[in-house]
Amino acid sequence: MAEPSSGIEIAAASVRLGGRLVLDGLELHLTEARIGVLGRNGSGKTTLLRLIAGLIAPDAGTVRVDGCDPFTDRRAALAALGILFQNPDHQILFPTVEEELAFGLAQQGMTQAEALARAHQALQAEGRAHWAKAPVTSLSQGQRHYLCLMAVLMMAPRTILLDEPLAGLDLPTQARLARRFAALPQRLVTITHDPATVQTCDRVLWLDDGRIVADGPPGTVLPAFIAEMARIGGQDADADLAG
Amino acid sequence: MLTLTSPVETWAHGLPAGAKLAALAIATTSLFLLDAPLTLAAALGATVLLYLTGGARFALAGLRLLRPLWPFVVIVGLWHLWTRDLSGGAVILMRMVAAVGLANFVTMTTRLSDMLAVIERLARPLSRFGVAPRRLAIAFALVIRFIPVMLDRLDEIGASWRARSPHRPRWRVLVPATLAALDDADRTAEALRARGGAG
Repeated sequence: MAEPSSGIEIAAASVRLGGRLVLDGLELHLTEARIGVLGRNGSGKTTLLRLIAGLIAPDAGTVRVDGCDPFTDRRAALAALGILFQNPDHQILFPTVEEELAFGLAQQGMTQAEALARAHQALQAEGRAHWAKAPVTSLSQGQRHYLCLMAVLMMAPRTILLDEPLAGLDLPTQARLARRFAALPQRLVTITHDPATVQTCDRVLWLDDGRIVADGPPGTVLPAFIAEMARIGGQDADADLAG
Repeated sequence: MLTLTSPVETWAHGLPAGAKLAALAIATTSLFLLDAPLTLAAALGATVLLYLTGGARFALAGLRLLRPLWPFVVIVGLWHLWTRDLSGGAVILMRMVAAVGLANFVTMTTRLSDMLAVIERLARPLSRFGVAPRRLAIAFALVIRFIPVMLDRLDEIGASWRARSPHRPRWRVLVPATLAALDDADRTAEALRARGGAG
Protein backbone atom coordinates (compact mmCIF):
# COMPACT_ATOMS: atom_id res chain seq x y z
CA MET A 1 0.00 0.00 0.00
CA ALA A 2 3.04 2.25 -0.08
CA GLU A 3 2.87 2.78 -3.83
CA PRO A 4 1.14 5.91 -5.08
CA SER A 5 -2.44 5.27 -6.09
CA SER A 6 -3.73 7.21 -9.06
CA GLY A 7 -7.20 5.82 -8.55
CA ILE A 8 -9.76 4.33 -10.89
CA GLU A 9 -10.08 5.90 -14.34
CA ILE A 10 -12.93 4.87 -16.61
CA ALA A 11 -13.15 6.47 -20.05
CA ALA A 12 -16.11 6.06 -22.44
CA ALA A 13 -16.63 2.52 -21.14
CA SER A 14 -19.60 0.50 -22.36
CA VAL A 15 -20.51 -3.09 -21.52
CA ARG A 16 -23.05 -5.26 -23.32
CA LEU A 17 -24.33 -8.44 -21.73
CA GLY A 18 -26.49 -10.74 -23.83
CA GLY A 19 -27.10 -7.96 -26.37
CA ARG A 20 -28.30 -5.49 -23.71
CA LEU A 21 -26.33 -2.30 -23.07
CA VAL A 22 -25.68 -2.58 -19.33
CA LEU A 23 -23.14 0.24 -18.96
CA ASP A 24 -23.38 3.12 -21.38
CA GLY A 25 -20.32 5.29 -22.04
CA LEU A 26 -19.23 5.81 -18.44
CA GLU A 27 -16.70 8.56 -17.63
CA LEU A 28 -15.37 8.36 -14.09
CA HIS A 29 -12.25 9.26 -12.18
CA LEU A 30 -12.40 7.93 -8.64
CA THR A 31 -9.73 9.03 -6.17
CA GLU A 32 -11.66 9.44 -2.92
CA ALA A 33 -11.06 7.08 0.02
CA ARG A 34 -14.71 6.08 0.44
CA ILE A 35 -16.86 5.81 -2.66
CA GLY A 36 -20.43 4.57 -2.81
CA VAL A 37 -22.26 3.34 -5.91
CA LEU A 38 -25.98 3.46 -5.42
CA GLY A 39 -28.60 1.99 -7.71
CA ARG A 40 -31.63 -0.23 -8.05
CA ASN A 41 -31.53 -3.90 -9.02
CA GLY A 42 -30.51 -4.11 -12.66
CA SER A 43 -29.03 -0.60 -12.75
CA GLY A 44 -25.65 -2.01 -13.79
CA LYS A 45 -23.87 -1.47 -10.49
CA THR A 46 -22.61 -5.05 -10.13
CA THR A 47 -21.42 -4.93 -13.75
CA LEU A 48 -19.55 -1.72 -12.93
CA LEU A 49 -17.88 -3.46 -10.02
CA ARG A 50 -16.87 -6.42 -12.18
CA LEU A 51 -15.57 -4.02 -14.81
CA ILE A 52 -13.39 -2.19 -12.28
CA ALA A 53 -12.20 -5.51 -10.84
CA GLY A 54 -11.08 -6.68 -14.29
CA LEU A 55 -13.39 -9.68 -14.24
CA ILE A 56 -14.92 -8.48 -17.51
CA ALA A 57 -13.50 -6.27 -20.28
CA PRO A 58 -15.39 -3.22 -21.59
CA ASP A 59 -16.87 -3.58 -25.10
CA ALA A 60 -15.76 0.00 -25.75
CA GLY A 61 -13.61 2.48 -23.84
CA THR A 62 -10.89 1.86 -21.27
CA VAL A 63 -10.54 1.06 -17.57
CA ARG A 64 -7.37 1.86 -15.61
CA VAL A 65 -6.77 1.09 -11.96
CA ASP A 66 -3.63 2.79 -10.63
CA GLY A 67 -2.53 3.11 -14.24
CA CYS A 68 -2.96 -0.56 -15.23
CA ASP A 69 -5.64 -2.37 -17.20
CA PRO A 70 -7.18 -4.69 -14.60
CA PHE A 71 -8.50 -7.11 -17.23
CA THR A 72 -5.26 -7.80 -19.09
CA ASP A 73 -2.66 -7.15 -16.38
CA ARG A 74 -3.88 -9.53 -13.68
CA ARG A 75 -0.67 -9.40 -11.66
CA ALA A 76 -0.94 -5.65 -11.24
CA ALA A 77 -4.68 -5.96 -10.66
CA LEU A 78 -4.13 -8.34 -7.73
CA ALA A 79 -1.88 -5.82 -5.99
CA ALA A 80 -4.25 -2.96 -6.78
CA LEU A 81 -7.66 -4.50 -6.13
CA GLY A 82 -9.51 -6.90 -3.90
CA ILE A 83 -13.15 -7.75 -4.31
CA LEU A 84 -15.62 -8.95 -1.70
CA PHE A 85 -18.52 -10.73 -3.36
CA GLN A 86 -22.03 -10.44 -2.04
CA ASN A 87 -22.37 -14.16 -1.34
CA PRO A 88 -19.36 -15.61 0.50
CA ASP A 89 -20.14 -19.04 -0.92
CA HIS A 90 -19.36 -17.64 -4.34
CA GLN A 91 -15.98 -16.52 -3.09
CA ILE A 92 -14.69 -19.29 -0.82
CA LEU A 93 -12.75 -21.76 -2.92
CA PHE A 94 -11.19 -24.09 -0.39
CA PRO A 95 -12.51 -26.59 2.15
CA THR A 96 -10.68 -25.25 5.21
CA VAL A 97 -10.11 -21.75 6.62
CA GLU A 98 -6.30 -21.82 6.47
CA GLU A 99 -6.26 -23.04 2.88
CA GLU A 100 -8.74 -20.37 1.84
CA LEU A 101 -6.56 -17.68 3.41
CA ALA A 102 -3.31 -19.07 1.98
CA PHE A 103 -4.56 -19.34 -1.61
CA GLY A 104 -4.35 -15.67 -2.57
CA LEU A 105 -0.85 -15.33 -1.11
CA ALA A 106 0.35 -18.41 -3.01
CA GLN A 107 -1.11 -16.84 -6.16
CA GLN A 108 0.93 -13.72 -5.41
CA GLY A 109 4.09 -15.84 -5.49
CA MET A 110 4.57 -17.02 -1.90
CA THR A 111 5.37 -20.68 -1.23
CA GLN A 112 2.54 -22.72 0.27
CA ALA A 113 4.40 -23.06 3.60
CA GLU A 114 4.97 -19.30 3.88
CA ALA A 115 1.38 -18.62 2.87
CA LEU A 116 0.06 -21.00 5.53
CA ALA A 117 2.30 -19.44 8.16
CA ARG A 118 0.99 -15.99 7.22
CA ALA A 119 -2.58 -17.29 7.38
CA HIS A 120 -1.98 -18.54 10.92
CA GLN A 121 -0.44 -15.20 11.93
CA ALA A 122 -3.40 -13.32 10.52
CA LEU A 123 -5.88 -15.56 12.34
CA GLN A 124 -3.89 -15.12 15.56
CA ALA A 125 -3.94 -11.34 15.16
CA GLU A 126 -7.72 -11.43 14.74
CA GLY A 127 -8.14 -13.62 17.82
CA ARG A 128 -9.34 -16.49 15.64
CA ALA A 129 -6.41 -18.90 15.74
CA HIS A 130 -8.82 -21.78 16.42
CA TRP A 131 -10.41 -21.24 13.01
CA ALA A 132 -7.31 -22.42 11.11
CA LYS A 133 -8.29 -26.02 10.50
CA ALA A 134 -12.06 -25.55 10.67
CA PRO A 135 -14.01 -26.65 7.59
CA VAL A 136 -15.51 -23.58 5.90
CA THR A 137 -18.91 -25.30 5.96
CA SER A 138 -18.90 -25.09 9.77
CA LEU A 139 -18.75 -21.25 9.75
CA SER A 140 -21.88 -19.13 10.09
CA GLN A 141 -22.87 -16.72 7.32
CA GLY A 142 -21.35 -13.77 9.19
CA GLN A 143 -18.17 -15.73 9.87
CA ARG A 144 -17.88 -16.58 6.17
CA HIS A 145 -18.13 -12.90 5.30
CA TYR A 146 -15.39 -12.24 7.81
CA LEU A 147 -13.24 -15.00 6.31
CA CYS A 148 -13.67 -13.54 2.82
CA LEU A 149 -12.68 -10.09 4.10
CA MET A 150 -9.58 -11.54 5.79
CA ALA A 151 -8.63 -13.39 2.60
CA VAL A 152 -8.88 -10.13 0.64
CA LEU A 153 -7.02 -8.05 3.26
CA MET A 154 -4.14 -10.53 3.39
CA MET A 155 -3.43 -9.86 -0.28
CA ALA A 156 -2.95 -6.18 0.74
CA PRO A 157 -4.71 -4.49 -2.17
CA ARG A 158 -4.83 -0.68 -2.37
CA THR A 159 -8.54 -0.66 -3.21
CA ILE A 160 -11.30 -3.01 -2.04
CA LEU A 161 -14.55 -3.39 -3.95
CA LEU A 162 -17.54 -4.36 -1.80
CA ASP A 163 -20.72 -5.78 -3.33
CA GLU A 164 -23.71 -5.24 -0.99
CA PRO A 165 -21.37 -5.87 1.95
CA LEU A 166 -24.03 -5.79 4.68
CA ALA A 167 -27.01 -7.38 2.92
CA GLY A 168 -28.52 -10.41 4.60
CA LEU A 169 -26.52 -10.12 7.82
CA ASP A 170 -27.98 -9.69 11.29
CA LEU A 171 -27.62 -6.30 12.97
CA PRO A 172 -24.69 -7.08 15.32
CA THR A 173 -22.76 -8.62 12.41
CA GLN A 174 -23.57 -5.59 10.26
CA ALA A 175 -22.33 -3.25 12.97
CA ARG A 176 -19.10 -5.21 13.45
CA LEU A 177 -18.35 -5.41 9.73
CA ALA A 178 -19.20 -1.75 9.17
CA ARG A 179 -16.81 -0.80 11.97
CA ARG A 180 -14.14 -3.00 10.43
CA PHE A 181 -14.64 -1.41 7.00
CA ALA A 182 -14.50 2.10 8.47
CA ALA A 183 -11.12 1.41 10.06
CA LEU A 184 -9.47 0.08 6.87
CA PRO A 185 -6.71 2.23 5.34
CA GLN A 186 -7.68 1.07 1.84
CA ARG A 187 -9.84 2.89 -0.68
CA LEU A 188 -13.29 1.29 -0.53
CA VAL A 189 -15.82 1.21 -3.35
CA THR A 190 -19.15 0.05 -1.95
CA ILE A 191 -22.05 -0.84 -4.21
CA THR A 192 -25.51 -1.14 -2.72
CA HIS A 193 -29.18 -0.34 -3.16
CA ASP A 194 -29.36 0.90 0.43
CA PRO A 195 -28.61 4.61 0.98
CA ALA A 196 -27.82 4.01 4.69
CA THR A 197 -24.78 1.90 3.76
CA VAL A 198 -23.09 4.77 1.87
CA GLN A 199 -24.08 7.78 3.99
CA THR A 200 -20.57 8.19 5.40
CA CYS A 201 -18.87 8.00 1.98
CA ASP A 202 -16.86 10.91 0.55
CA ARG A 203 -18.55 10.57 -2.81
CA VAL A 204 -21.69 8.80 -3.99
CA LEU A 205 -22.52 7.82 -7.56
CA TRP A 206 -26.14 7.11 -8.44
CA LEU A 207 -26.31 4.66 -11.29
CA ASP A 208 -29.47 4.02 -13.27
CA ASP A 209 -29.88 2.12 -16.51
CA GLY A 210 -26.12 2.01 -17.01
CA ARG A 211 -25.61 5.78 -16.68
CA ILE A 212 -24.59 8.11 -13.88
CA VAL A 213 -27.65 10.06 -12.75
CA ALA A 214 -25.99 11.96 -9.92
CA ASP A 215 -22.45 12.22 -8.60
CA GLY A 216 -21.49 14.12 -5.46
CA PRO A 217 -21.34 14.12 -1.68
CA PRO A 218 -23.94 11.97 0.10
CA GLY A 219 -25.58 15.13 1.45
CA THR A 220 -26.82 16.03 -2.03
CA VAL A 221 -27.12 12.62 -3.76
CA LEU A 222 -28.88 10.62 -1.04
CA PRO A 223 -31.95 12.87 -0.49
CA ALA A 224 -32.58 12.95 -4.27
CA PHE A 225 -32.15 9.18 -4.51
CA ILE A 226 -34.47 8.49 -1.56
CA ALA A 227 -37.14 10.83 -2.94
CA GLU A 228 -36.96 9.21 -6.38
CA MET A 229 -37.14 5.68 -4.92
CA ALA A 230 -40.19 6.69 -2.86
CA ARG A 231 -41.81 8.15 -6.01
CA ILE A 232 -41.17 4.96 -8.04
CA GLY A 233 -42.31 2.78 -5.14
CA GLY A 234 -45.57 4.69 -5.01
CA GLN A 235 -46.30 3.77 -8.61
CA ASP A 236 -46.85 0.31 -10.04
CA ALA A 237 -43.15 -0.55 -9.81
CA ASP A 238 -41.46 -3.44 -11.56
CA ALA A 239 -44.02 -4.06 -14.29
CA ASP A 240 -41.63 -3.25 -17.14
CA LEU A 241 -39.46 -5.99 -18.56
CA ALA A 242 -35.80 -5.36 -19.26
CA GLY A 243 -34.84 -5.39 -22.89
CA MET B 1 -18.80 -34.41 5.45
CA LEU B 2 -15.92 -34.23 3.07
CA THR B 3 -13.37 -32.57 5.28
CA LEU B 4 -11.84 -35.77 6.52
CA THR B 5 -8.72 -34.38 8.14
CA SER B 6 -9.10 -35.06 11.86
CA PRO B 7 -9.13 -32.01 14.14
CA VAL B 8 -7.47 -34.21 16.81
CA GLU B 9 -3.75 -33.56 16.35
CA THR B 10 -1.78 -36.81 16.37
CA TRP B 11 1.94 -37.50 15.97
CA ALA B 12 1.20 -38.55 12.38
CA HIS B 13 -0.09 -35.06 11.48
CA GLY B 14 3.52 -33.85 11.55
CA LEU B 15 4.91 -36.43 9.11
CA PRO B 16 5.41 -35.37 5.49
CA ALA B 17 2.45 -36.28 3.28
CA GLY B 18 4.66 -37.86 0.62
CA ALA B 19 6.23 -40.26 3.15
CA LYS B 20 2.81 -41.26 4.48
CA LEU B 21 1.46 -41.91 0.99
CA ALA B 22 4.55 -43.95 0.04
CA ALA B 23 4.25 -46.01 3.24
CA LEU B 24 0.57 -46.52 2.50
CA ALA B 25 1.36 -47.77 -1.00
CA ILE B 26 3.90 -50.28 0.37
CA ALA B 27 1.60 -51.43 3.18
CA THR B 28 -1.37 -51.91 0.85
CA THR B 29 0.70 -53.87 -1.65
CA SER B 30 1.97 -56.09 1.16
CA LEU B 31 -1.59 -56.69 2.38
CA PHE B 32 -2.45 -58.06 -1.05
CA LEU B 33 0.63 -60.27 -1.14
CA LEU B 34 -0.09 -61.77 2.29
CA ASP B 35 -2.72 -64.49 2.53
CA ALA B 36 -2.09 -66.32 5.80
CA PRO B 37 -5.00 -65.58 8.17
CA LEU B 38 -2.70 -65.16 11.18
CA THR B 39 -0.41 -62.66 9.41
CA LEU B 40 -3.40 -60.66 8.26
CA ALA B 41 -4.88 -60.72 11.74
CA ALA B 42 -1.57 -59.32 12.98
CA ALA B 43 -1.69 -56.61 10.28
CA LEU B 44 -5.24 -55.70 11.29
CA GLY B 45 -4.15 -55.63 14.94
CA ALA B 46 -1.28 -53.33 14.02
CA THR B 47 -3.73 -51.01 12.21
CA VAL B 48 -5.93 -50.85 15.32
CA LEU B 49 -2.87 -50.08 17.47
CA LEU B 50 -1.87 -47.35 15.02
CA TYR B 51 -5.27 -45.69 15.51
CA LEU B 52 -5.05 -46.04 19.28
CA THR B 53 -1.77 -44.08 19.33
CA GLY B 54 -3.91 -41.09 18.32
CA GLY B 55 -6.12 -41.48 21.39
CA ALA B 56 -9.59 -42.91 21.94
CA ARG B 57 -11.49 -40.03 20.31
CA PHE B 58 -9.35 -40.25 17.18
CA ALA B 59 -9.72 -44.07 17.03
CA LEU B 60 -13.51 -43.80 17.36
CA ALA B 61 -13.65 -41.25 14.54
CA GLY B 62 -11.60 -43.69 12.46
CA LEU B 63 -14.01 -46.50 13.26
CA ARG B 64 -16.93 -44.34 12.15
CA LEU B 65 -15.24 -43.75 8.79
CA LEU B 66 -15.28 -47.52 8.19
CA ARG B 67 -19.08 -47.57 8.27
CA PRO B 68 -19.50 -47.44 4.45
CA LEU B 69 -17.77 -50.85 4.32
CA TRP B 70 -20.57 -52.79 6.01
CA PRO B 71 -22.47 -53.88 2.86
CA PHE B 72 -19.26 -55.43 1.53
CA VAL B 73 -18.62 -57.13 4.85
CA VAL B 74 -22.14 -58.61 4.78
CA ILE B 75 -21.94 -59.78 1.15
CA VAL B 76 -18.43 -61.28 1.44
CA GLY B 77 -19.31 -62.81 4.81
CA LEU B 78 -22.53 -64.43 3.56
CA TRP B 79 -20.85 -65.72 0.41
CA HIS B 80 -18.07 -67.42 2.36
CA LEU B 81 -20.51 -68.84 4.92
CA TRP B 82 -22.44 -70.32 2.01
CA THR B 83 -19.33 -71.77 0.39
CA ARG B 84 -18.07 -72.86 3.86
CA ASP B 85 -14.74 -71.13 3.20
CA LEU B 86 -14.48 -69.33 6.53
CA SER B 87 -10.74 -68.72 6.52
CA GLY B 88 -10.90 -67.45 2.91
CA GLY B 89 -13.66 -65.01 3.91
CA ALA B 90 -11.73 -63.88 6.98
CA VAL B 91 -8.64 -63.21 4.84
CA ILE B 92 -10.58 -61.01 2.40
CA LEU B 93 -12.37 -59.10 5.16
CA MET B 94 -9.28 -58.50 7.27
CA ARG B 95 -7.35 -57.38 4.20
CA MET B 96 -10.13 -55.02 3.16
CA VAL B 97 -10.65 -53.48 6.59
CA ALA B 98 -6.91 -53.08 7.18
CA ALA B 99 -6.32 -51.51 3.74
CA VAL B 100 -9.22 -49.05 4.02
CA GLY B 101 -8.30 -48.35 7.65
CA LEU B 102 -4.72 -47.48 6.72
CA ALA B 103 -5.84 -45.29 3.82
CA ASN B 104 -8.28 -43.46 6.13
CA PHE B 105 -5.50 -43.03 8.68
CA VAL B 106 -3.39 -41.19 6.10
CA THR B 107 -6.38 -39.08 5.04
CA MET B 108 -7.25 -38.21 8.64
CA THR B 109 -3.73 -37.11 9.50
CA THR B 110 -2.91 -35.15 6.34
CA ARG B 111 -4.03 -31.64 5.54
CA LEU B 112 -5.69 -31.35 2.15
CA SER B 113 -3.20 -28.76 0.92
CA ASP B 114 -0.30 -31.10 1.79
CA MET B 115 -2.01 -33.90 -0.11
CA LEU B 116 -2.44 -31.50 -3.04
CA ALA B 117 1.24 -30.59 -2.91
CA VAL B 118 2.10 -34.29 -3.36
CA ILE B 119 -0.35 -34.59 -6.26
CA GLU B 120 1.22 -31.47 -7.74
CA ARG B 121 4.70 -32.99 -7.45
CA LEU B 122 3.65 -36.36 -8.87
CA ALA B 123 1.79 -34.69 -11.73
CA ARG B 124 4.82 -32.66 -12.74
CA PRO B 125 5.75 -35.03 -15.62
CA LEU B 126 2.25 -34.44 -17.03
CA SER B 127 3.09 -30.80 -17.70
CA ARG B 128 4.88 -32.05 -20.81
CA PHE B 129 1.42 -33.02 -22.16
CA GLY B 130 -0.10 -29.66 -21.36
CA VAL B 131 -1.62 -30.57 -17.96
CA ALA B 132 -0.55 -27.93 -15.43
CA PRO B 133 0.04 -29.68 -12.04
CA ARG B 134 -1.10 -26.65 -10.04
CA ARG B 135 -4.39 -26.61 -11.94
CA LEU B 136 -4.89 -30.30 -11.27
CA ALA B 137 -4.30 -29.74 -7.54
CA ILE B 138 -6.73 -26.80 -7.43
CA ALA B 139 -9.31 -28.90 -9.28
CA PHE B 140 -9.11 -31.55 -6.54
CA ALA B 141 -9.60 -28.90 -3.84
CA LEU B 142 -12.55 -27.39 -5.70
CA VAL B 143 -14.29 -30.76 -5.96
CA ILE B 144 -13.94 -31.29 -2.22
CA ARG B 145 -15.12 -27.75 -1.48
CA PHE B 146 -18.10 -27.78 -3.81
CA ILE B 147 -19.66 -31.21 -3.34
CA PRO B 148 -21.28 -30.10 -0.04
CA VAL B 149 -22.31 -26.80 -1.68
CA MET B 150 -24.01 -28.67 -4.52
CA LEU B 151 -25.75 -31.06 -2.13
CA ASP B 152 -27.11 -28.02 -0.26
CA ARG B 153 -28.28 -26.55 -3.56
CA LEU B 154 -30.04 -29.83 -4.37
CA ASP B 155 -31.82 -29.66 -1.00
CA GLU B 156 -32.88 -26.05 -1.65
CA ILE B 157 -34.30 -26.93 -5.06
CA GLY B 158 -36.11 -29.91 -3.53
CA ALA B 159 -37.50 -27.64 -0.80
CA SER B 160 -38.77 -25.02 -3.24
CA TRP B 161 -40.40 -27.83 -5.25
CA ARG B 162 -42.13 -29.24 -2.18
CA ALA B 163 -43.23 -25.75 -1.10
CA ARG B 164 -45.46 -25.62 -4.17
CA SER B 165 -46.22 -29.24 -4.97
CA PRO B 166 -47.77 -32.14 -3.07
CA HIS B 167 -45.60 -34.61 -5.02
CA ARG B 168 -41.98 -35.50 -4.41
CA PRO B 169 -39.65 -33.93 -6.98
CA ARG B 170 -37.45 -37.03 -7.60
CA TRP B 171 -35.48 -36.82 -10.88
CA ARG B 172 -37.06 -33.51 -11.83
CA VAL B 173 -34.63 -31.61 -9.61
CA LEU B 174 -31.77 -32.76 -11.84
CA VAL B 175 -32.16 -30.17 -14.60
CA PRO B 176 -32.39 -27.15 -12.26
CA ALA B 177 -29.59 -28.61 -10.14
CA THR B 178 -27.38 -29.00 -13.22
CA LEU B 179 -28.10 -25.43 -14.30
CA ALA B 180 -27.37 -24.21 -10.78
CA ALA B 181 -24.08 -26.12 -10.85
CA LEU B 182 -23.11 -24.47 -14.15
CA ASP B 183 -24.02 -21.10 -12.67
CA ASP B 184 -21.89 -21.86 -9.60
CA ALA B 185 -19.05 -22.86 -11.92
CA ASP B 186 -19.19 -19.44 -13.61
CA ARG B 187 -19.07 -17.66 -10.27
CA THR B 188 -16.24 -19.85 -9.03
CA ALA B 189 -14.26 -19.10 -12.17
CA GLU B 190 -14.79 -15.42 -11.43
CA ALA B 191 -13.72 -15.81 -7.80
CA LEU B 192 -10.58 -17.64 -8.95
CA ARG B 193 -9.81 -14.89 -11.44
CA ALA B 194 -10.35 -12.24 -8.77
CA ARG B 195 -7.59 -13.79 -6.70
CA GLY B 196 -4.99 -14.63 -9.30
CA GLY B 197 -6.49 -17.38 -11.45
CA ALA B 198 -5.75 -21.09 -11.41
CA GLY B 199 -2.24 -20.76 -12.83
